[in-house]
Amino acid sequence: MERTISLERLVDGVLTELEKRIAAAASPGGDEAGGMPLAPVDLFGPAASRVPDPKWEEGVNELIAATPARIGVWRAGTRPLTREMLKFRCDHAAAVDSIYGQVSPAILEQYGLFTVETRYENTENYLKRPDMGRIVTDEGVEKIRSACRMNAQVQIVVSDGLSASAVDANLRDVYPALLDSLKAYGLSAGTPFFVRGGRVAVMDHIGDILQPEVFVLLIGERPGLVSSKSMSAYMCYRPRKGTVESDRTVISNIHQGGTPPLEAGAHIGTVVKKMLEQRTSGVNLDL
Amino acid sequence: MPDQWITSVGIDIGTSTTKMIVSRLKLTRTSSALSLPRYDIVERELLYASPIHGTPLLGEDEIDAERIGELLSQDYEKAGISPRDLKTGAVIITGETANKKNASRIVHLLAERSGDFVVATAGADLEGLLAGKGAGADRRSMHTRGAVANLDVGGGTANVAFFARGKPAGTVTFHVGGRLIQVDPAGTIEAVSPSLRPWLEASGFAISPGQTVGFPLLREICAAMCRDMLDYLARCALPAGGKETIRKLMLGDPLPSVPVLEEWTVSGGIGGLMAAKAPDSLAETAVHGDIGPLLAHALRQCCERYPIRLAQPDQTVRATVIGAGMQSTEISGATVHLDASLLPIRNLPVLKLDISPHMLAREALLKEAAAGVMRTAASLFEQDASPPFALALSGMKHCSYESLQWLSDALAERFREAFPASRAMVVVCENDLAKALGQSLDRRCGGRPGIVCIDQIRVEYGDYIDLGEPISGVMIPVVVKTLAFHNRTVGGTHA
Repeated sequence: MERTISLERLVDGVLTELEKRIAAAASPGGDEAGGMPLAPVDLFGPAASRVPDPKWEEGVNELIAATPARIGVWRAGTRPLTREMLKFRCDHAAAVDSIYGQVSPAILEQYGLFTVETRYENTENYLKRPDMGRIVTDEGVEKIRSACRMNAQVQIVVSDGLSASAVDANLRDVYPALLDSLKAYGLSAGTPFFVRGGRVAVMDHIGDILQPEVFVLLIGERPGLVSSKSMSAYMCYRPRKGTVESDRTVISNIHQGGTPPLEAGAHIGTVVKKMLEQRTSGVNLDL
Repeated sequence: MPDQWITSVGIDIGTSTTKMIVSRLKLTRTSSALSLPRYDIVERELLYASPIHGTPLLGEDEIDAERIGELLSQDYEKAGISPRDLKTGAVIITGETANKKNASRIVHLLAERSGDFVVATAGADLEGLLAGKGAGADRRSMHTRGAVANLDVGGGTANVAFFARGKPAGTVTFHVGGRLIQVDPAGTIEAVSPSLRPWLEASGFAISPGQTVGFPLLREICAAMCRDMLDYLARCALPAGGKETIRKLMLGDPLPSVPVLEEWTVSGGIGGLMAAKAPDSLAETAVHGDIGPLLAHALRQCCERYPIRLAQPDQTVRATVIGAGMQSTEISGATVHLDASLLPIRNLPVLKLDISPHMLAREALLKEAAAGVMRTAASLFEQDASPPFALALSGMKHCSYESLQWLSDALAERFREAFPASRAMVVVCENDLAKALGQSLDRRCGGRPGIVCIDQIRVEYGDYIDLGEPISGVMIPVVVKTLAFHNRTVGGTHA
């Protein structure tokens, strides 16, 4: 009986502490638009070895520093430590939230991005029917036709894809850096907008409508337990219905812990310039 | 871009010998196709190693430049290589040769004559590091828990480099070398290097040129020299430099702390002689007219007295030249901003600005830090040098677009204020940021000054760097010349 009580107390203690920290983490950022506080990753502090009495402490730390994978997490009997288990569930919850979340309207407004939708209908359907995320609704097509410049040199489109938080976390760095880079190369961008419920190949449909030379799609990636805020930049020379995947060029894993967002934005400009010079993209592009 | 080979040369002008090597370095993309491009040197191939030439001198204190030039032209010819093919490499003057009166002029002359981008280097710290890498001590340390030291013992100095888990962990230099005492087979002392005299005196050895000495005395001197050096390295003489004679044997200051060694290797001419049979007489000792063979034997015997494993180095007599030729070059990140008309740039001093996340998030702090570093630069470097220095930036892993704008504003404005005549501004970032920052600076400066902004190169305040010409237009070879581990403020901000 003694043991049961102490275990319950332990769990209570951990939960109280967690609540306190979440409250503390959420309160100062009152200006943060979008409302729902996504689980702050640093709630658990930086990754550190949980191995008691390691034979070689520096060696363990070296390995932990070399990977975001969950290593050196130790165990209690045959089970994970409470803290590691909670961290795992927290990361999993963040991944789920990023799929079901919405991109902050403030960001879209900041960069003057109007919104169109694909035929995805809702998130459940979006997950089951990727094909519906590749077609813009009729209403959306009208909006694009009336608002956008045709035949742009570079057409930039932003989409939530599988992670709305990827857009929230990275667009403020990637997008302006990309615009600067295009300007530095003397390239002109068309009218940008946001696609809700988009899949990568939605660029083919939009390409048919707007006929840009090069298409840049900044889209949220499938979230994982390491990062739920990872963005990809898919680029394609003259995308159209029937474009094959090998014709697309991608820079992936754009987030604070992966491909640095600023440098990615600056480099997309270089890739776009090469596409325009070589009039091709994907595997045929010589980078 | 397919794999690329670049040809690299190493030239080592030492106290007693001069040698050169030609090698080629293979550059391969090491990042995935979905990431930003990143290239690394993945293979190093030795193409030609020259014979070991005696270092030609004109008298006591001057290097025979003409003769060195001749030797090198012969070697280039034998290697079947034209200096024009060389894309990188280093010329280094080591040991006591560096004290000769025309040393610095010669090393620069050779560097410029040897190709587009061959750099001149000097300094015992760098020499020790390059020898350690040439001997393979950095690689060995990846397989051990404790540190590995390489002792590169040549004619004039012993350059010791420590490596821990593959990274340099310090260097220290001793007046220990085979040619510091020159002696003929009859035991007549022909010369005693001035750098060794204080130690000889402090240790109670009275020898001077013209005097005739016996084999036992020379053996005793060599043993004492080795013991003092190894006592220091094995941390048997703590506190550092506690023993008077050890301080006299050291060139420069002792290290703040000596790493705990698991293994050591001995390279250099003396390292090469260690496997030879021990000399039993003056005649066997003085085959080169100095104490080299005896010192090598004493060192081997002395090493056995410590609980530290003596390992075989990859290279002995050629460790420094191999290090200079094959290990001195690094490759910048492949997303950088280059004004190719400004390259190559040689011998640029580094000033460092460490940026904390706290600073990065606050406009006023960031701008003040940038202004501060430019004020420091203005007081340290010449107004009319172009570029006057390289600004190293670290701590910017999580830089936002907004912070980048603040930083670029301040750097561009303050640099032009402090160095209005400079046609070039050089920035070296530790984090992958150079293309974004370079474009940002360039937009503000409009070509005046032109911007060279590279990344993924780690430099410290007090280093010198050389920047080569672009490879495939996207990256450059860089040689970082570390001058000192001592007196370095760890993580300090020089703003």
